[in-house]
Amino acid sequence: MSNMDRRVVVTGLGLVCALGENTDECWSAAVNGVSGIREVKSVNTDGCYANVGAEVAMESSALSGEDYDRSSLLCIKAAGEALADSGYAVTGENSDRIGVIVGNCVGGAASIDKYFTDELKNGGGKSSDILKMPAAAIANNVAKHFGLNGMTANIVNACAAGTISLSYATDLIRAGKADAFVAGGSDSFSSLAFAGFHALHALDENGCSPFNRSGGITLGEGAGVLIIESYEHAKARGAKIYCEVLGSGVSSDAHHITAPDPEGKGQMLAIGRAVANSGLSASDIDYINAHGTGTAKNDEAEFLSLHTLFDENDHLSVSSTKSMTGHCLGAAGSIEAVLTVKAVCENTVPPTIGYTEENLETLKEKAGAIDFVPNTKREKTINYAASNSFAFGGNNASIVFAKEPREIPDRTNKDRIFITGIGGFVSKGHVDISSDDYKAYGIKMAFYRKLDRFSQLQLLSGMQALADAKITVGEDNEKDIGIVVGTADGPMTEIVGFQKNVIENGTASGSAFSFPNTVYNAAGGYFSIFAGIKGYNVTNANSIQAGLQSLCYAADVIRNGDENIMVASGTDENTDVTEFLYGKLGLLEGKLGEGSVSLILENENSANARGAKIYAELAGWATAHKSVEFGTVKGSESALKTAIEDACKAAGVTLADIDGVFGFANGIPEVDELESKVYGELFNGKADIVQVRDDLGEARAAAAAGQAAAGARYISKGWRNMECVLAAGFGVGGSYSAVVLKRVPGAFAEDDRTTSLLDLLKGE
Amino acid sequence: MANQEICEKIKGMLVENLRIPADELEYDSELFGDDIGLDSIDSIEIIAGIDGLFGVQMTGAARENFKSIETLAKFVEEHQGE
Repeated sequence: MSNMDRRVVVTGLGLVCALGENTDECWSAAVNGVSGIREVKSVNTDGCYANVGAEVAMESSALSGEDYDRSSLLCIKAAGEALADSGYAVTGENSDRIGVIVGNCVGGAASIDKYFTDELKNGGGKSSDILKMPAAAIANNVAKHFGLNGMTANIVNACAAGTISLSYATDLIRAGKADAFVAGGSDSFSSLAFAGFHALHALDENGCSPFNRSGGITLGEGAGVLIIESYEHAKARGAKIYCEVLGSGVSSDAHHITAPDPEGKGQMLAIGRAVANSGLSASDIDYINAHGTGTAKNDEAEFLSLHTLFDENDHLSVSSTKSMTGHCLGAAGSIEAVLTVKAVCENTVPPTIGYTEENLETLKEKAGAIDFVPNTKREKTINYAASNSFAFGGNNASIVFAKEPREIPDRTNKDRIFITGIGGFVSKGHVDISSDDYKAYGIKMAFYRKLDRFSQLQLLSGMQALADAKITVGEDNEKDIGIVVGTADGPMTEIVGFQKNVIENGTASGSAFSFPNTVYNAAGGYFSIFAGIKGYNVTNANSIQAGLQSLCYAADVIRNGDENIMVASGTDENTDVTEFLYGKLGLLEGKLGEGSVSLILENENSANARGAKIYAELAGWATAHKSVEFGTVKGSESALKTAIEDACKAAGVTLADIDGVFGFANGIPEVDELESKVYGELFNGKADIVQVRDDLGEARAAAAAGQAAAGARYISKGWRNMECVLAAGFGVGGSYSAVVLKRVPGAFAEDDRTTSLLDLLKGE
Repeated sequence: MANQEICEKIKGMLVENLRIPADELEYDSELFGDDIGLDSIDSIEIIAGIDGLFGVQMTGAARENFKSIETLAKFVEEHQGE
């Protein structure tokens, strides 16, 4: 493939936010400096010092007809517009080549609020609301609505999610794994976010004023969706092309769980990567849609980053459209990407609004050579535009769009990928964590007391895996290491605890201590902060198989040349909250488990250079999806087959080469029957089937990652002379991931290992 | 010596709301020192907690009042019923 064959383009746009019900309405409002910020209607703001927000006027039932959470419905609304706009005809023949990747922050927060309000005040919640709670439902619901059978992911990196989702979609298309993605982000207004930012005193009572008064954010809601498509595919179907998607960059601050690094180093790494991966230099960029939240800390750090990187650029315009849309959290990056694409196409920069004459004088001093487009739009030629997003957890992302095609550097790393470390613990019931577990890694009480259960599990398993791989993170490698966390249910305990307090005591009494942990990416954030990891950092909430999809994602990041080493984790907690929720659904009684399992993936060059011991080669990986309702797997077996066949093909092996399969049976008849039927058809009884959940419990994503860890561990020991094994995971809604592991002869030295299989499977 | 009952209530609040292990928290432990390591977000939580428990407003109170459970209790005693 030549570089130009790796062209990825935008062929459809969809947008719903406080500025309007579609892209045209929103764009028209944005370029004319119309604010969508009004008095909040959907959240009770009694006793709060602020009561403004940027809500979507449409009722949920007007967005789409399903009984889904509002975040899914907003996304379906925008996705419907984008698909129609693209003219993409989804058929039975091509539906498996178009997938869905959605960025999201608060998941089904509105449904969590409703369910527990019913529980606490109205005599009982509806169990149908429980399936609306996890962020994992969103991409699956969108896929189901439109009959899309390509892979799905829910990128839950808070306020950077909507940019990372576009970055990942683009990378997967360049890797040949899909023709197109419905990619974007979505978040609904919620008492969770309002109470949380209120507790942090991060809301501006007068409406946000980015790069100006910088007195805080104003929350918004909405969804932005782009059809991201391979150029060849778009050309073949005669599609209208908006613009090119060039490079992107993802990084971690490794600084603080809510505040950005005041020196902006992580932001600059992400922006710098995006520009360099586009084959551009800073002087080429014509417009940046800034993160520009309006908090003092963000704006100061972003001012510094922009000045440091772009002061040589004499034609850069920067604006924060959040001054009009509000901060739409997981949707923000995608809403801003839609506006950025429009800016490129229309040669018009939407303004940052809210400056008085006096403010304009102050801005002149702070802006230097950069044009912050105050109050009124700027018409100018825009060849290259970037969009920035920065998040809680210190996650940063930036992506570049271009008017014309351009050869971009092919950084593909074709090295073999090895598993060079395994860490973690997973157990039926509950894992026992004591202060000694933290002390083993020098984690002080001042740090670990901040962590919720989900973050505790992730931190300890990640540190254990790094130690097992004998990786010391320092200045020489901190940017070459990344993190992928996969989870089914995320920090549901912290979310529910926060929400119940708000329901009982009012929006004004949200806990500032708890709120930072209610975002799904806090766990990966804390881990990056403690470990000092500054590369790629993503969390994917995609049901149980997310613990295996994290290996697929991490391997994709390495293959794409972004990092040398990735920590791929599967993490899920089990508490009275998860037991209560699964119990209400009548599922997994007495079978739930919890834990976190982390595997170190490393390219061959890096592993050899540091003399790493090797458990196994991650030879092939694949994720597939067959749309069925979230909450079931019935009818989705073809996707399990596809995931297994694609993983084998990628590994250069046939089904007959698979000696053992580490499976996902969990005692739910529908799941177990589907699995054994597919294995029967594919393997004909010729592969050993190993089930781990009898020991581990249904620890969801942790058990899924545990399947791969057990597989790697077993073949490294030469167990039953297995040379090649497979691990497969399922997700409700019809998502499946599979990985193929090959034995690497002579690479393993047992005595050097700190983690034994028994440790990994340690019981209660 | 500050009122024991107030100290105990404050300790309970800190253990519950800020996940400080009870066995590592004495009435004179330095809350914002290296060991317990409270920060600005935690101080928001303490202010809300003290308000909730005693109806005493600590917004804008001088830093030294947040030093330990004892100093917090002393502040509460002095300002209760205001």
